[in-house]
Amino acid sequence: MNYILSKSEMESAFVAISSDFQVYGAVERDGDVIFDRVAGFDQVSEERSRYAPKEFLMKRNENVLILNVESKKAVFGIKSCDLKGFYLMDKQIFGKDPFYTQKREKTLFANFVCSEPCSGGFCSSFGGPVLDQYDLQILREGEKFHVMVSEKYDRYFREFKKETGTFYVDFSNRFNSKLEPLPVEGIEKRIKWNSELWKEYASACISCGACNFECPTCYCFDLYDDGNERKKEWDSCILSGFTSSSAGNIRKGLDERLRQRFYHKFVYFKKSKDTYLCTGCNRCVEDCPVGIDIKEVITYDYNGE
Amino acid sequence: MNSYLPEYFKEFELIWESRDTYTIHLPKENPGKAGQFYMLSSPGIGEAPISVASGHLREMLFTIRSVGTVTSKLPDARVIGVRGPYGTSWPWERYGKILAVAGGIGIPPINSLFDEMVGTGRGKDLEIIYGARSPSDLIYHKQRKEWAKMANVIITVDKGDPNWKGNVGFVTQFISKSETDRDGAVFIIGPPLMMKNSVAESLEAGFRPENIYLSLERRMECGIGVCGHCNVGEFYACEDGPIFQYSAVKHLPELFL
Repeated sequence: MNYILSKSEMESAFVAISSDFQVYGAVERDGDVIFDRVAGFDQVSEERSRYAPKEFLMKRNENVLILNVESKKAVFGIKSCDLKGFYLMDKQIFGKDPFYTQKREKTLFANFVCSEPCSGGFCSSFGGPVLDQYDLQILREGEKFHVMVSEKYDRYFREFKKETGTFYVDFSNRFNSKLEPLPVEGIEKRIKWNSELWKEYASACISCGACNFECPTCYCFDLYDDGNERKKEWDSCILSGFTSSSAGNIRKGLDERLRQRFYHKFVYFKKSKDTYLCTGCNRCVEDCPVGIDIKEVITYDYNGE
Repeated sequence: MNSYLPEYFKEFELIWESRDTYTIHLPKENPGKAGQFYMLSSPGIGEAPISVASGHLREMLFTIRSVGTVTSKLPDARVIGVRGPYGTSWPWERYGKILAVAGGIGIPPINSLFDEMVGTGRGKDLEIIYGARSPSDLIYHKQRKEWAKMANVIITVDKGDPNWKGNVGFVTQFISKSETDRDGAVFIIGPPLMMKNSVAESLEAGFRPENIYLSLERRMECGIGVCGHCNVGEFYACEDGPIFQYSAVKHLPELFL
């Protein structure tokens, strides 16, 4: 259901949610936007967090031999591109990984829809900032808040004024016309296995893995023993050990590993899950120390090679 | 339920099959099927994906070559952890006759297959071609005698020694002479190049691509399709495999790596 709330009504919805959840929000700390506990809706920053908030559902490092009962959390101020990452991950790991699944089920995400395109972002290529899957999707318009609420959390909003018009559709169309979508459709057919692009990227890439760690959709992890613990830790398909086993390494070359990253996002995931594994957040571009741009993988003229 | 939590065994038997290969016998019934695998582990050492070597509902056997960081340390472990079974199995029930082609440490899942087929009175429908690098690398001396009572069995080595009087040559050389009906299935398991050549020989011999099955070995860490390491094309070897129908995966450029 869609609602329209005043600032004070938004605060009272926040209070109601706070009584059932531990509430977190995007907040500014020492110049960075991070997620921390918040006590009021007005404390939540509208700026995008420095890092994708993957840690709410996948800790960097945790012991898989102990599955703790998690508390219910509500997270305000996650941006649509970051939230969409979880909906994409769900397709591969929800219901299978017990750590992710438990946290996913117990976490309410209140995503903020950007009112204007951000610099470098290309979310309109993947549908734009108005998501069709959400818990609470919030768009501020001056002093008013447009809120789309999923059935699961509708009880917190029933007392407020319903919004019946086409506000979100109109907004989405306006936003996406301001940010020209990239020609992503059909990339799974255009992309080329033996493209020069992979070698060119490999000659610059320093295998730091930042693109994976920053990515709101990358879910791969390593499992290893550390004393009495069996650790599950974020991993990166760019690192040389990712596929090495006693039988050898199937992707010895950095060009092969870079290609794997893009093929997984634009070819393999599309084939197996019928969607691309990218939200257009541009985090991997912003944090790449050598300037590799995933947008080029989409727009590159493979035929012209 | 925590699917990463293994069941631990302090009591188990460990038998050396050759200088680098051993079998772990766990006192537990195998709910898995031939071709499926388990994650074997020991605390502080880590986990490794190991195909089950015994048939469905037999006691669990795992035959392991000591080559990796985990598999080289398991023989000294005092506790063995096991979780699974995972992945797909050999679809032998769908076929009348089956040719199994195994190279090296690919043989345990074929022993498991034999167990299951014999268990339902179908041992005679199986033909086995088993090759190893040298006579001393051949394992399963007792089991091979059992196979030969029922199935047509061809044993070969890449390189013989002065005492070796058997076949010398790659397993691929024996596929065209197979007695298996060409409407039957071929189950191939072994090193990548051996599988690649065995597929080519099987097609040449008249078997159909949709009746050829491969067991893909990849780095696997979780076993449940979430950690990403075994990704090959649009598949995860641990959940969509390890047993794949050749016709479904032949388009993958990384298939025989």
